[in-house]
Amino acid sequence: MGRKILLIEDDRETAGYLAKGLNQEGHSVEQATNGQDGLFRATDGSFDLIILDRMLPVLDGLSVLKALRAAHIDTPVLILSALASVGDRIEGLECGSDDYLVKPFSFAELLARVNALLRRREARIDPSDHRLTVGDLEIDPLSRSVKRAGKKLDLKPREYLLLEYFARNEGRVVTRTMLLEQVWDYHFDPGTNVIDVHVSRLRRKLDEGFEKPLLHTVRGAGYMLAA
Amino acid sequence: MLALLSNLAVIGFIDWRTNDDAVSTVRRQVLEQGKVLADVYRTGGKAALDDAVEDTMTYADPQTAIALLSSDRSELRGNVVSVPAAVFADPTGTHGYRNALIRLRGQTTPREAALVVQRLPNGQWLLSGRIAGEALTIRETLERSLFIALVLAGLLGLLCGVILAHYVGQRIGDIARVANRITARDLSQRVPVSRAGDAFDRLGGQINAMLDRISTLMEELRLLTDSLAHDLRSPVSRLRSAAQAAAEANDPEEQEEMLGSVIRQADSLMRILTAVLEISRSEALTGRKQFTWFDVGELAAELAEMYDPLVEERGAALEFDRPPRPVPLFGHRQLLAQAVSNLVENAIRYGSKGGEISVRVKPGERQIRIEVGDHGPGIPPERLPEARRRFGRLDSSRSDEGAGLGLALAEAIAHLHEGQLMLEDNQPGLLTALQLPVYSQQARAA
Repeated sequence: MGRKILLIEDDRETAGYLAKGLNQEGHSVEQATNGQDGLFRATDGSFDLIILDRMLPVLDGLSVLKALRAAHIDTPVLILSALASVGDRIEGLECGSDDYLVKPFSFAELLARVNALLRRREARIDPSDHRLTVGDLEIDPLSRSVKRAGKKLDLKPREYLLLEYFARNEGRVVTRTMLLEQVWDYHFDPGTNVIDVHVSRLRRKLDEGFEKPLLHTVRGAGYMLAA
Repeated sequence: MLALLSNLAVIGFIDWRTNDDAVSTVRRQVLEQGKVLADVYRTGGKAALDDAVEDTMTYADPQTAIALLSSDRSELRGNVVSVPAAVFADPTGTHGYRNALIRLRGQTTPREAALVVQRLPNGQWLLSGRIAGEALTIRETLERSLFIALVLAGLLGLLCGVILAHYVGQRIGDIARVANRITARDLSQRVPVSRAGDAFDRLGGQINAMLDRISTLMEELRLLTDSLAHDLRSPVSRLRSAAQAAAEANDPEEQEEMLGSVIRQADSLMRILTAVLEISRSEALTGRKQFTWFDVGELAAELAEMYDPLVEERGAALEFDRPPRPVPLFGHRQLLAQAVSNLVENAIRYGSKGGEISVRVKPGERQIRIEVGDHGPGIPPERLPEARRRFGRLDSSRSDEGAGLGLALAEAIAHLHEGQLMLEDNQPGLLTALQLPVYSQQARAA
């Protein structure tokens, strides 16, 4: 399931490292080293995802993004930036990017987000049944009810939101920062393991008493919901 | 200069008005007199006019001029002794008004007069008028005194100008000297402020207040840099030893574990750097464009819900009562969320052994307080001011690096909202509170 990804990044070392990793995952990567060239390549709209560095020579990342959105090219955009403050992140998202990743990041984190964005695009093209199922787990987003092996699970609202997010990214790694951003809508890095505590509570309700666990810990990256 | 010009304008105006008034009064009187005499001739004939001339000579004031001349202007009756011939040239109808120099009987010099010269139907010339000297004299006196006033005003203006320039120059010189010394890196200089309380003192006061603020910021920055250097030193050395251990490890499992530790240390360094970046950016007051109205109660509830399981896991309890009504605040929701979460994390880190952590929102008329209290060891009252100055350096034995930066960031975020971070005694424990003013926010939003 290789996809076409455009990587607009002026730092050769980072670009080379990312391109290599994404190639290994089976994606084809095209590279641009400045904003203008990147914008030119992106305008044909044939890419499944654009990874855009924020600080670029000739034309900066946010300008590229604005130009793309103004031209009605809605290819998902993941911004990479060394600007880590909450304000910067929000600004990036408000300019029309789909995700924002702060440098330095682990490749696992980047891959998790790339896969989430590609998956979202897929879902947009192919709207299926609103019910989500993962193995013997059944989630109904309309009534917000969750059943495992036919037995109803009693979840708190936030636990439900967590589980729904996991389910929508079934089989993919979800990182702690992704959870904080997507489930809580907070854009700072907590100094404690607050997210892990929530996940382990959810896991207790979800997996306790069942033989096969659904919620897995992925070492060095995050979590994954998979049957 | 401006004062001089306005003086000139006033004097010029007075001159023009008096001149105009005096001349027009005389002119009106003279025209009236001429008309009356002409009427007398028309109704009573020559005899009546002769009587009228005679009466005028006898009873009128000495400034009145009256004369009846034969058609060749040789015979004369009246008090006018000499008249310039030009007066009779160009007899414009029956009421020819003009100014001329004439000499009255009993006078030695000709004087300026306003005259009406009329040609009667029988060919005689009737000449009536007034010496305008009176009005003219007033005008001359006025002009002279105005001129003196002008010269005096000019001199005074110049003098004041010189004194003022000297004074202003001196006061500005004081400020410039201070500015120069500050440029030469002595930030302790202050503008001398006199007790006069004038504009210069106000300016000086403002400049001094600005310098105080800059000094405080510089001092805070210096402390921050110091504590940052300290906070960075230990994770960097830990990072280094972990990396070395990973490089030297023979067992792949051990190596993987060490590499995991390398990544954790690098992440921790990253968090510290991010916090510092956020602090400097908040203190530079960026990000105000992202201010919105939101409910502080809801924000606090969200964070309390988020941290509740963590607090419980650490063997404590998180107590939160949501205010019954929404508490609207105009601010940066994300940054305030981060500030409150930093306070909560600080309480968890140092105070969770004390059993209970409380989060409270206290709406007030003037300010909103968001309080986070713990029952941990707290900070001794005598060390609270020191802690308030900079949060990093208080517990030298603590191993959890970057924690002080969390409070420093919370303070910077409070400053961004024109508020303060308070550190108080929770009896026992530490009470940290974001104190945010309401009025300025309302004003800014309105």
